[in-house]
Amino acid sequence: MTFFRKKRLFILLISLMILVGLIGFTIRERSELTAVEDFIRDTTGWAQEIITVPVTFTTSVVSNVQEIKNVYRENQILKSRLSEYRKLQYQNQELSRETIELESLLDKTESLSDYTPIQASVIARSKEQWFEQITINRGTQNGVEPNMAVITGEGMIGKVQTASPFTSTVLLLNGFDRSNRISVEVNIEGEDTFPSGFILGYDEESESLLLEMNQRDTNAEEGNFVFSSGLGGIFPKGLEIGEIKEIRSDRYNLTDIAYVEPSADFEVLNHVIVVDRTMPQPQTEEEEENE
Amino acid sequence: MKRLYIPLFCFLILVLESVLSFYLVDFNFIPEKWILVSHWLLLFLIQVSIFYDLERTYYSLFYAIIFGLFVDLLHTDLIGVYLFVYTAVTYLTHGIRKLLHTNFFVALLLSVLGVAFAEVLIYFLYDTIQIHQVIWEDYWQLRLLPTLGWNLLFFLLIYLLFKKKLTQWSNDRFDRKD
Repeated sequence: MTFFRKKRLFILLISLMILVGLIGFTIRERSELTAVEDFIRDTTGWAQEIITVPVTFTTSVVSNVQEIKNVYRENQILKSRLSEYRKLQYQNQELSRETIELESLLDKTESLSDYTPIQASVIARSKEQWFEQITINRGTQNGVEPNMAVITGEGMIGKVQTASPFTSTVLLLNGFDRSNRISVEVNIEGEDTFPSGFILGYDEESESLLLEMNQRDTNAEEGNFVFSSGLGGIFPKGLEIGEIKEIRSDRYNLTDIAYVEPSADFEVLNHVIVVDRTMPQPQTEEEEENE
Repeated sequence: MKRLYIPLFCFLILVLESVLSFYLVDFNFIPEKWILVSHWLLLFLIQVSIFYDLERTYYSLFYAIIFGLFVDLLHTDLIGVYLFVYTAVTYLTHGIRKLLHTNFFVALLLSVLGVAFAEVLIYFLYDTIQIHQVIWEDYWQLRLLPTLGWNLLFFLLIYLLFKKKLTQWSNDRFDRKD
C-alpha cells in the first residue's frame, strides 16, 4: 500500500514538473510553432471550416432577409451620395496617376503604404475570451506570415500571431499589450505634418486603445482619425485604426495619452484581409541577436 | 470501431465549441459584459467518467489529457493550463463517483461542481501567470455565474443525448472482456 501511495505521489510530482515546464516553455513570445501544433491546428481548422461554412450561410441568409426591409430607404440615401462619389473617384484617379508619374521620375517604386491583400475567412474564435484571438483559414501556404497586419473594410483589427501551413491565429487589437506596439499618426485636416505616437495597449474600462503621443500639446483633438504610420517596421502605412475620443496627460504629466475608439468591430468578424507589406521589414534587434 | 466513438465525439465537441464561441460573442440576448466560456468537452468527459468508465478503468482520464492539450493548443498560447484543469477535474470526478450512485442528480451535481472547480482553477492559474487583471468580484459576477448557467444548459443536452449511449457502450465493451 505504501508503495502505491509513493508511486502516486511520484507521478503527481513529475506531472506537475512537466506542467510547469510546458507553461514556462510556451509563455514567452514565440511566432514559430512546433510541427505537432501546426498539425493539430490545421486538422481542427479543416473540421471547423466544414461546420462554419453552412452556419455562416444560414446566418447570412437570415440577416439578409432582415436587411431587405431597409433596402429602399438606404437606396435613396445612397443615390443622393452617388454624384459626390463620382467627383471623388475622378480626383482619386488623377492623384494616383500623378503619384505614379512622380514616383517614376524619382525611381522610387515601392512605398510604405503598398501591400498585397490576402483574403481570409474567420473560422473560429478562442473560447477562452481572455485570449483575444481568432483563427482564419489561410496559412503560410497562402503567404501569411507572423506579424502581418489584419484588417477589415472598417479598419485594422489585429496582427497574425502564429501561422500554420493552412490556418493562422490572429491576435485582436484589444489583446495587444506593450510588447506589440503600433506606430501611428493622427490625421488632422489641413496640416503638413501629423503628430505621431504609439498604441500601447487596450483599456478594458473605457473599451479603447491607449495612444501615447510622442510630443506634448499637439494639435490632435477629439474626432481626429488615427492611422498606422508604417514606421514601426511591420505594418504598412495608412491602415485606419480608430477615432480619438479623449486626450489626457499621462500620470507624470510628461506626454499626452489619447483614448482611441477602434473603427472595426471586433465582435462581428467574418471576412478579413491579411496585409502583406511590400516594403521589406527591417530586421529587428531580437532577430539579429539570434543569428 | 465502437472504441473510436468517444474520441470522435470529443473531437466534434471540441470543434463545435470553438465555432460556437465565434457566434457567442455577438449574441444579442446576453449582456455585453458577460463572458461565457463553453466547457462542453469537460461536461462530456465528466459523463464519460460517470457512465462509461468502471472503477478500474481510466479512459476518461486518458481522453482528458489528450483533448485538454488540444484545447490549450487551439484556444490559448499557453500549453498546460487546460490540460491540467481538465485532467484534475476528471480525476476527481472519477474518484468521487465510487462513493455515489450514478443517477441524474449525481451527474448534475458533479457536472456543476466540476465546471465551477475548473473555472476557479483557471482563474487562479491565469492570475498567477498574469494573463488577466480581473478582480475576483468582477470575475464571479461576470464570468463564473454566467458560465455555470450556460454550461448547465449543455449538461442537459449531453445528458439526454449520451447517457444511454454511454452506458450501452460501456456494457458492450467491458462485458465482453470479463
